[in-house]
Amino acid sequence: MNSQTTISLIIFVPVLLALTLPLAGKISLRLRNILALGLCLVPLLCSLSLIPAALSGKTVTLGRELGLGINFIFTADALAVFVACVSSFISTLIVVYSFGYISHYHNQNEYYSMVVLFLGGMMGLVFAGNLIFLYLFWEITAITSWRLIGFFRDKYVVERADKAFLVTVFGALLMLLGFIRLFQETGSFDLLVIKEVVKTHPISNLTIALILAGILSKSATLPFHTWLPDAGVAPSPVTALLHAAVLVKIGVYVFARIFVATIPLPINWQVIVPVIAGISALVSAGAALIETDLKRIIAYSTISQIGFIFLGFSFGNSIGVAGALLYILMHGLAKAGLFLCAGIVEQNTKTKDITKLGGLIKTMPVTAMAFLLCSFSVMGIPPFGGFFATFMVMTGAVTSGHIIISMVFLVGAFMTIMYLFRTFNMVFLGEPKAALVKEGSFVMVATVAVFAALSLLGGILIWWPDALAQAATLQMLGTIR
Amino acid sequence: MVPLFVLIPFFSIIILNLFPKKLMQHLSFVWLGFLSLAQVYLVAARPVWFWDTKLELWNLLFSFRYSVDVITLVMLLCIGIVVFISLLASRAMISDVHQRVNFKNLLLVSLIGMNATVLVTDVFSLYVFIEITAVSSYIMIAMNKDRLGLEGAFKYLILSAIATVMMLVAISLLLLLTGNTSFEAVGAGLAGAGNSLFVRVSIGLFLCGLFIKSGLVPFHGWLPDAYSAAPAPASILLAGIVTKVSGVYVLMRLAISVFGLTPSVQALLMFIGAVSIIIGAVAALTQTDFKRMLAYSSISQIGYIILGVGCGTKLALIGAVFHLFNHAIFKSLLFVNAASVEKELGTTDMDKMGGLTQRMPVTGITSVIGLLSTAGIPPLSGFWSKFIIIIALWQAGNFGYAAFALLASIITLAYFLSMQRKVFFGKLRSGLENIKESSMGLIVSQAVLAIITLVVGLIFPLVISWR
Repeated sequence: MNSQTTISLIIFVPVLLALTLPLAGKISLRLRNILALGLCLVPLLCSLSLIPAALSGKTVTLGRELGLGINFIFTADALAVFVACVSSFISTLIVVYSFGYISHYHNQNEYYSMVVLFLGGMMGLVFAGNLIFLYLFWEITAITSWRLIGFFRDKYVVERADKAFLVTVFGALLMLLGFIRLFQETGSFDLLVIKEVVKTHPISNLTIALILAGILSKSATLPFHTWLPDAGVAPSPVTALLHAAVLVKIGVYVFARIFVATIPLPINWQVIVPVIAGISALVSAGAALIETDLKRIIAYSTISQIGFIFLGFSFGNSIGVAGALLYILMHGLAKAGLFLCAGIVEQNTKTKDITKLGGLIKTMPVTAMAFLLCSFSVMGIPPFGGFFATFMVMTGAVTSGHIIISMVFLVGAFMTIMYLFRTFNMVFLGEPKAALVKEGSFVMVATVAVFAALSLLGGILIWWPDALAQAATLQMLGTIR
Repeated sequence: MVPLFVLIPFFSIIILNLFPKKLMQHLSFVWLGFLSLAQVYLVAARPVWFWDTKLELWNLLFSFRYSVDVITLVMLLCIGIVVFISLLASRAMISDVHQRVNFKNLLLVSLIGMNATVLVTDVFSLYVFIEITAVSSYIMIAMNKDRLGLEGAFKYLILSAIATVMMLVAISLLLLLTGNTSFEAVGAGLAGAGNSLFVRVSIGLFLCGLFIKSGLVPFHGWLPDAYSAAPAPASILLAGIVTKVSGVYVLMRLAISVFGLTPSVQALLMFIGAVSIIIGAVAALTQTDFKRMLAYSSISQIGYIILGVGCGTKLALIGAVFHLFNHAIFKSLLFVNAASVEKELGTTDMDKMGGLTQRMPVTGITSVIGLLSTAGIPPLSGFWSKFIIIIALWQAGNFGYAAFALLASIITLAYFLSMQRKVFFGKLRSGLENIKESSMGLIVSQAVLAIITLVVGLIFPLVISWR
């Protein structure tokens, strides 16, 4: 199987076959579940199979001309392969977890169909080599997350789903306007062509600002962050999938794709972006400190961590970029783990309010341990994966000479430790405040255990993901500077 | 054999009405279905035997001059599709035998009017066929003889009458000026006449008449009343195609091949288009009646088409025609959704609905496709046409309008999301537990239109290069 076929399989298998899941669900639930898992495994395995080529620095392209500057191009470089592997892997585990969590709700057929379609949209976005197709897949993920956030169908749930949809689409429209300006300035929507053109023609500030607005809205960074905590009304696997592991990473990925790999960020924006990210990180960390809703805390934590990823990408030096890439992986694993633990707690205790919880470690030891291990990774405690990522990002910022910004982020990192310990303390330790409940179902507990184990292993075996991240960094920066 | 598009429906009316009503209602259903699908086939496949054969005998009897270009073909295609959908809806929605027969006769009259409007090449015949189309619409709107229907029809009638007067005066002025009514002669005469007050008055009057017919702001007062009061199959027909043919198409045709797009006409069209986009969208936000909301949404979408026409570059016109086609498809789809909800619940008040997707899955899912396409969310067809219009505006240097048109999409999305929340997406409202999915005809029409929207969105490059 050649690489072009592999890329087509990664994108089109989930996108097209997602719509057959409701039909499969009519026949048998087991068939549908197996099919859904299969549709996640195809992109995962295919992405993994692209790793050797990516490590050797090769770029695979697949495309055809369509006219109007809208060319159908997909490129698989190390960056794309890295993000594709991370997101398809996490999505697959989340689908496994869903088998336990979602099994007693309505609309399961729609749920699986949307999750798989979301994954397909994500894969398309990751490999897209043309801005219009990037935008197209971007909106597919927006549509699916709208349906998924509104899964429980209550009025306030649907209102919040609408809010998330409107905010992200508004950002996306600004971004599209930026793309059109970019088209006017460079004469193309193709990233490779743009990359050549911008070497001699700098891009105007307004264009950058517009594109950045789209990115920030998708990654739920200040000032477009409010939809993310509100979207916590979705079922926990959805929050894990969308708001921790995959959806918010879209913005970050596009930032890397456009402003690191294609258009080097101008020097003034190298200050503006970290400042926005820093404010975002601090404000949301503060919010997480006083929040009492378990899922909202984790959601604010996500906003805060996204700031670190932006920090790593914005200076364009190799250690920061590699660190940011590793951060995407480690944060995805750990944060998905946290959300899924929250899901087990929420489903069994029927509450998300941490002031009404306590002492759960006695009856839910595995969940509690998984929550703790994932928290360690998010906090950046060695030898967990999060430590290396945080360390590299901070080193990158310091070597660029932005000491004050680095200090701000250091404060953010410290606040992370505070609110996560507070949360763990209130939920799992102390005296039980309500009747103690039993552990979640086997699949669910096993999934969170896997996420926790991987957060630890990711740190101990850091050189494996690091090799790919270094290859991606080399490819992204190598030809520019 | 192109005049057959007009002749066959004409003779069909006469022949079909010779049969007794009981028999005629089935016969005319089959025959109209065949006619509309044949029209779709003839346009889509364009068999040589049809398009290149001349009807010698016919030319001896009458002189019917016509011309066929891409815009005409697209319009004929839309007419075929929407008439077919409206026919299916009429079977599901109209239970009375007499009314059914009446509706089919009116549909045939409307078909004659619309097909001829897009084919003719002189301003006076254009006027006559616009009126034929309009007359059939007045009766369709008032067909149930209820208060709202009569009110809607009356408003439409009065405003159309004003439009008629304006257009007739304009035509007579043009006749005075150029001594002819054919497109070419009038166009040449106008080009020679310079920019006198006389010319400006006649063009201005004609344009105003057409703005009324298209329901553009500030002449849109009749449109929401007419659309929402009309029986469901009639509102599908009106919203999907009638106003597009008798207003937007004619405007496009005259602007391109008769008046020529002078800078002042362009500026006027773009301004009116932009105002319609925003006013239609904002008004739609506040509606609680399903069909009224769709009507305001129509005004807003027509604004996009007019914006494209006003821009006037080749790409913009492609975008405008493409958007016209898409609008015919997705707006019909949404009106069919409204019809099937109305059929099951007996109301179009959105505050009395909730969570209907659970009981009516096809209606719910297709309405999502329709609304996303209207809001211009990829990968659906509406995105590409809107996007082409915006790119064209941008290339022509109208940055403000381009940015405005793009960002106005968010309002479209906002009112449609509120519609979804009230009607389909959410918890099932108590009292609606026994609602069933609506009848087969409506399900099929929804599915067909949704599939067209989706497929056109996916294979849009083929669609754009279609000639």
